[in-house]
Amino acid sequence: MSTNMNKNKNTRSTNATGAGQRKTGMQVMKELKEQHRESGSGLGRAHLNNRIALGVLWGATIITIGLLAVILIYVAYHGLGVVLQDFPRFIFTWPEGVNAEGGIWPTIVATLYSTGLAMAISTPIAVLAAVYLAEYAKQGRIVKTIRFAADSLASVPSIVMGLFGLAFFVETLNIPLSMLAASLGLSLLMLPITMRATEEAIRAVPRYIRWGSYGMGATKWQTVSRVVLPTATPRIITGLILSLARAIGETAVVFLTMGIAINLPIIPTDSGRSMSVHLYLMAVEGINLPSAYGTAFLLLLIILVLNLSARYISKRYSRIDNA
Amino acid sequence: MDEHKNKVSSMPEEDNSKVGSSAVDAQENTQSNEVEAGKEGLRTDADPSKKTLTHTPSVVMKELADTAAQREPVPEARPATKLQLVSRSTQIKEASLATLFFVCAFLAVLGAGLIFAFVAWRAFPLLSDIGLWNFLTGTQWSVADNTFGALPFILGSFVVVGGSLVLGVPLAVLTAVFMSEVASPRANAIIRPAVELLAGVPSVVVGFFGVVVVVPIVSALVGGAGFGPLTAWIVLSIMIMPTITTLSEDALNSIPMGIREASYAMGATKWQTIWKVVIPAARIGIIDATILGMGRAIGETMAVLMVVGNAPQLFAGISAPISTMTSQIVLEMGYSSGEHRTALFGLAAILFLISMSLVLTVRLLAREQTKKTKKVKKGGGA
Amino acid sequence: MAANSGTVCCSSCEKEGSHRFSSIPKTLGPLRKLLVFAAMITVLLLSSFVLTGCTGRDIQGQIIVSGSTTLLPIAETAAQQFETTHPQYIVLVSGMGTSAGIEAVGVTGTADIGTSSRDLRGAELDLDLIEIPVAYDGIAVIVHPDNPVNNLTLAELRDVFSGNITNWQELDGPDMPIVLVNRDEASGTRSSFASAVMDDESFEVNSVVLPGTGQVREVVARTPEAIGYISVGFVEPRHVETYVQAISLDGVEPTDENIISEEYPISRALHFLVAGTPEGSALEYIEFVLSDEVQQGAVRDAGFLPITEADHTEFRRMLSEGNY
Repeated sequence: MSTNMNKNKNTRSTNATGAGQRKTGMQVMKELKEQHRESGSGLGRAHLNNRIALGVLWGATIITIGLLAVILIYVAYHGLGVVLQDFPRFIFTWPEGVNAEGGIWPTIVATLYSTGLAMAISTPIAVLAAVYLAEYAKQGRIVKTIRFAADSLASVPSIVMGLFGLAFFVETLNIPLSMLAASLGLSLLMLPITMRATEEAIRAVPRYIRWGSYGMGATKWQTVSRVVLPTATPRIITGLILSLARAIGETAVVFLTMGIAINLPIIPTDSGRSMSVHLYLMAVEGINLPSAYGTAFLLLLIILVLNLSARYISKRYSRIDNA
Repeated sequence: MDEHKNKVSSMPEEDNSKVGSSAVDAQENTQSNEVEAGKEGLRTDADPSKKTLTHTPSVVMKELADTAAQREPVPEARPATKLQLVSRSTQIKEASLATLFFVCAFLAVLGAGLIFAFVAWRAFPLLSDIGLWNFLTGTQWSVADNTFGALPFILGSFVVVGGSLVLGVPLAVLTAVFMSEVASPRANAIIRPAVELLAGVPSVVVGFFGVVVVVPIVSALVGGAGFGPLTAWIVLSIMIMPTITTLSEDALNSIPMGIREASYAMGATKWQTIWKVVIPAARIGIIDATILGMGRAIGETMAVLMVVGNAPQLFAGISAPISTMTSQIVLEMGYSSGEHRTALFGLAAILFLISMSLVLTVRLLAREQTKKTKKVKKGGGA
Repeated sequence: MAANSGTVCCSSCEKEGSHRFSSIPKTLGPLRKLLVFAAMITVLLLSSFVLTGCTGRDIQGQIIVSGSTTLLPIAETAAQQFETTHPQYIVLVSGMGTSAGIEAVGVTGTADIGTSSRDLRGAELDLDLIEIPVAYDGIAVIVHPDNPVNNLTLAELRDVFSGNITNWQELDGPDMPIVLVNRDEASGTRSSFASAVMDDESFEVNSVVLPGTGQVREVVARTPEAIGYISVGFVEPRHVETYVQAISLDGVEPTDENIISEEYPISRALHFLVAGTPEGSALEYIEFVLSDEVQQGAVRDAGFLPITEADHTEFRRMLSEGNY
């Protein structure tokens, strides 16, 4: 029972923010509860239920964490060996032959190329759009429409996005299956994510900073560009990294717009095969599984590193903010 | 353009009501100046006396004010209190920037609109070639025979999504409850990043994991080849769980501490509090999370494609292969042409409409909730 | 404006009260980091270009190869290897289907070499194309190694895949339902299986559709009830330690000899097609494809069988005499 009490305490300290007086209240309650239990007024069943239910909660969480652990460990267990064999051969050599034996260098380049280009396309638009929503727009029909559109864009299944990329960029605008077509498709995917992150970042900038700027006679743009955006930068970067991670793992869009032949892209209209598509093809072909494991491992590693660095940046930022 | 100008002047005004007393003087300064300046582009000139404003000692701002003063082509000496219009070029610049931002924001609308317009346009011949009714209710899909009935895929998508929600939602919500109500901060420092990382695992990796791990297990458990709804449920629930967990946890965390304390004060156990008080209070947030998870699930492509078996038939048991809209598009797009391609775009249009209606549902729910809370607040005030 | 702000900022830093908002200049750091980040990506990309070495090859000619998707992996891999040993040539390979390949080389002349996975028929015979065999393809019907059924007639096989026979018992096997493992419709293996076995029957829909050879093999290797089909070259394990059993059709085992002699019912020769005796770059490419390097490499890797000594002799005779 005492462990139970401890847990109660912990929960409260996470949720109640700076509730100095509450604590005394809580203590009183705990005492009351204690008394209640000691008097043994038919609460045994409730306690049993409580125990069971908390056990179930523990179980559910362990399963969730376990799933991540199993996926990571499984992929790492099979993939690490492939990548480390004659390191860094797997990363820096070309796939050879019909079954793509050897390394995956061109697919790594194609992945970085297309997602980098997509980031370059989507970031300015997303950031400026977020500036409009957070700083310029009047709350009203236009903002509602824009936000609804952004939400819808975020919810469009990636395969539909890929189909659109194929039908619009490739078949209507006559861009060949290429890095450019893929990154245009990917930028549509990244746009709402970056936009939302940026808008939240801008809104999180304390109001008094803006007042100060206006008070000094700065124009709107001066305020936004030299005060608000720099302050919001760490959070914006966090959002950018997360949307980049999303784009790197994206398969359906790239599959339909980049082409699937292995090629090392040099100019934006070159085609190629991304890591995710390579993994898909290796996995469904099912002949050269070691290469699939290696690719999956590298893909996960890149995404993991991006996610962790996003966490690191946002953590460091919040420390500055608190200080 | 007028709108933006007004915005410039009205912004500090709105904020004014919420500032502490020290800031008020300064704010009034600006405000009154603006009022005098009328409806023009209006800004007060930099005034050395204002540099002492208690709430704005920011270096950047001072510098801004300085540069602004330097740059403005004002020939005459200015009395400290006299107002000065912003130069014409600055006004134009501000307005054109505002327009640029609006255009960028509008691109999002354009993007969503274009996607729908294009998919609908390419799917349109379906009405005359196949017939909407035949398309929606036909159970035969055969490229060789040029018959395209999408019912197996539409139902397949719903079977797959439904099952994954049944598996994934309880697990996700329980995890969220654990994170919000039970776990210590230290435990959460592990659980939360883990859930976020799980959300970041690309679907093709989960699909690969499904093929090499889940499929053989399912095959051993229920017989058959291991490809089918059951496998898809397991794999898909892994995909949607992090989304639902994160959003549900947000919903649970937004429940005020007070109602929990009230429940404990009544002598309720932890679980009674969670089950009878916290979860009902966070109900709408959890439903929201579920709907968004459903949106994710219905659009999920690669993971499903790799484990569902891709047989264009109606549901025939948990281990009989079926196919979904998304997987069929990926599988067949590469070599499709003519009517076949139109039919695939038809599937995409259906997917688009479903995901749009899910977004709309979430919005309606949110509106309902704000209405409710307003009512509660009013009631509480009286 | 930016340059201006820098100087003013520094001078005013020294004045009062700036410490409270020191976070603002600090947070300008990440902005710079973003630029550094972008620069790093650019450098990475640029370095990748350098690594591949746009070595300014002295291009003397290009060879256009077009046609069958079945032959695509061989033609492509061979093209890559050919370009490394013959940097003066560019080989463009595309797979649009056999008919398109025949059209391109025989009618429009847009391709130097057509690739074909079937015999010429109808009007195509009048195009005076020379067929050069480059590989043999046989499709093996595979079952679980423990399955006692090791021979089927073509008619039985058709009934199995069209769903008329649903239990192994009907084929003198154990009493268990048949699990069909099929390929996706884009697959060349599926279309040649269909044309050799299915006649006009359509495939049973209640079958697992897998987009890859290896997966079909894997599923059959672990599912006792399963039956599937793959190229003969993949029956023996590669990279894996699982086993499948290739059964006889009409009593003919899918051995190399039976496939090359086309005695085995699902077998065919894969051809390069040229209009007139090949010469120059096209000849060099064809000779490269017929060499051991490709025959024992790419051809075997793709699951096909290499051509025979007789085919080589025939090819040389054709070159000297100008016809087959």
